[in-house]
This record gives sequence, C-alpha cells and structure tokens, in this order.
Amino acid sequence: MIDPVLPIVLRGALALLFVTAALHKLRDLHAFRVALGDYELVPWPLTGLVAAGLVAAELGVAIVLVTPWARPWGFAAAALLLVLYTAAVSVNLLRGRRDIDCGCFGPALRLELGPGLVARNALLLAGALTGLLPPTPRALTALDGLPIVAAIGFLSVAYAAASRLLANAPALRALRGEP
Amino acid sequence: MIETLVVSNLLLWIAVIALAGLVFALARQIGVLHERIAPTGALLLGGGPKVGDPAPVWSGGDLFGRPLQLGGGDGDGRGTLLLFVAPGCPVCESLLPVVQHLAVEEAERLRVVFASDGEPEAQRRFAEQKRLDAFPYVVSTELGLAHGVGRLPHAVLIDAAGIVRAKGLVNSREHLESLLEARERGVASIQEFVARSAGAERAEEGHP
Repeated sequence: MIDPVLPIVLRGALALLFVTAALHKLRDLHAFRVALGDYELVPWPLTGLVAAGLVAAELGVAIVLVTPWARPWGFAAAALLLVLYTAAVSVNLLRGRRDIDCGCFGPALRLELGPGLVARNALLLAGALTGLLPPTPRALTALDGLPIVAAIGFLSVAYAAASRLLANAPALRALRGEP
Repeated sequence: MIETLVVSNLLLWIAVIALAGLVFALARQIGVLHERIAPTGALLLGGGPKVGDPAPVWSGGDLFGRPLQLGGGDGDGRGTLLLFVAPGCPVCESLLPVVQHLAVEEAERLRVVFASDGEPEAQRRFAEQKRLDAFPYVVSTELGLAHGVGRLPHAVLIDAAGIVRAKGLVNSREHLESLLEARERGVASIQEFVARSAGAERAEEGHP
C-alpha cells in the first residue's frame, strides 16, 4: 500500500521521460537507427522498422501512463520497455562492447554503455514497478498538488543531471589513464 | 502551525529543485571541460612523409568503384584533406559531422577524402550509415602504411601540388581547425608553432 500521491508522481515523471526520449530520437531518426545497428541485435535492413517501432512504443507508453483509466497498464508497459532496453544493453556489455552509444538521447548526448546505465534502468524499473502497488484510499486535496508538481520537476532535472554525469564517465576514465 | 509547515515545505521544494538545477548545470560544465582538455592538440606522430615532403602517390578505385588519385597533384587545383577513420572508432564518428560541414564550407579549396582499411563490407556499411557515400572513400592498407598512420582519426592535409602541408592526430573540431590554421601559417604542427613563438619571444627579449 502506497500513498496515492506516489503513483501520480511516478506516472508524470515516467511519461515525461519517455516523451523526451522519443522526441530526442525523432530529431534524428537516422542516428537512432545507426545506434540500434551498433547493438548488433537486429539485422541492419530491419533497423529502420525497429527504430520507428521503438519510438512509437515510447510515445505509446507515455500516453498510456497519463490516461487515467489505463492506470496499471502504463506502468506495466513502461516496465516491459525498460526490461527490453536493459536486456539489449546487458547483452552488449557481456559481449564486452562498451564503446557504443546507447542511443538514449539521440544526437543530444552520447552515452556509452556501462554498468551505470544498467543501474539507471534498474532504478527506473523500480519506479515503474512501485507504481503497480495498490494505493491507500485517501482523498487528494489541493495541497497535494505542490508535492506532485515539485517532485515531477525534481525527478526530471535529477535524471537529466545523472545522465550527464554518466556520459562524462568515459572521458573521466581517459583522464585517469585507465583503459 | 499547519501554515508554517506548508510554507516551510514550499520553500524546501523550491530549494530542492534549484539545487537539482545547479547539479545539472555543473554536470554539463564538467562535460564541456572534458571536451576541452581531453586530447593533446593535433599531435604530430612520427612516421610517414614529413610536412613539406611530397605525399605518396596512390591511385585506384575507391570503395564505390570511382577512380581516384592521391598525391602528385590531383589536377583540379584543390588541396586534399585525407582523413583516416575506421568503423567502431567513436572519436572518428563524433568528428564526421564537422568534416562534412568543412567539406561544404571549403569546397572551393579543399577536397575531402576518407581512408580506412579492413573488410570492405563493414566499410561499405559504415560509409552508408554515416552518409559518406558522397565523398571518395579509400580502403587501402598500403595508403595507411605510406602515411605512417598510428592512431585514429588521423588527418593529412595535401596541397594542390601534392605536398604534405599539415598532418596529425585529430580528436576534435579544434584539432581539425588547427590543422587548417597550420597550413595558413606554414608551420608543421601546433608543437612547432609553440616552439617557434617561444623562440621568437626569447629573441625579442635578447636571449637567443
């Protein structure tokens, strides 16, 4: 049982995350296709279709998340997509291929694969699964609006900052002279 | 009592979001700093023809079967920027948009040629993915050996007469620009430029 404010916050933050992710990819769909090809999980001729499908899936998840009557499905779909992405990243990490772009942010930010990315996705997955827990019956008041809006804003900025720091990791390793 | 809590809560949320914004700005600045300091100038590595020497002459078909001649003066009065890249070299990939932009900007004075070695099929896929098919794309191990290419991306600037004007490891836009600047100033590399200016300063001060 969780407070009803929590799923609303999670829904808003995850929807915002998927919409921005999809918009970043739409800015340069070809670049996303190339990033997808670099994962070497989908044969190159199919990547165009899969890339467009993934962007559509991200937008779809965001829409279902903010649709009131589709409540649990939004979190379930978000979790499914996150599991799929994490699996793709993990397979390539196991293959020892770290120096490819994750494709998460399109041309806006290059983020290389690494354990940090898996940890980030695990956190997001935990958020999506938390949203599936049943909320306690409590009437929301106008005062609840403040933490809802503020927490969504905070989570979004914190996510952007964490992504930047993750993207800096390879440069930092190079500075330290590590391979 | 409740009012106090609400006001304090509001202030705390504002502080939390402002701090998150600050962390984001700091993370961004760190990224910019990394970009600026990471590489060490258009580094001149040993091997291959020296600046001022004629570039090795190479002729043949490129990856897409188009005839091409490098070195010995290519005839159309333009210089050549020869850029050695490879699929799976992240720095090369990040440099490609800059080079493509440069090719358009300097089209009158400069011809951009990509070079690489390895399996032609992988090269073809790389060239198509990165939209390099508009440029000559040479796949030749001999060319790399002739130019003494060690680390990638490596750029060689050859003038219209086929003389090497500048060359070196290029990791960023600044390096590429410094290479063109080196041609304008007639110095071999950024290292030579620094050494020369230091020498000139010493001479001015009367300490040879």
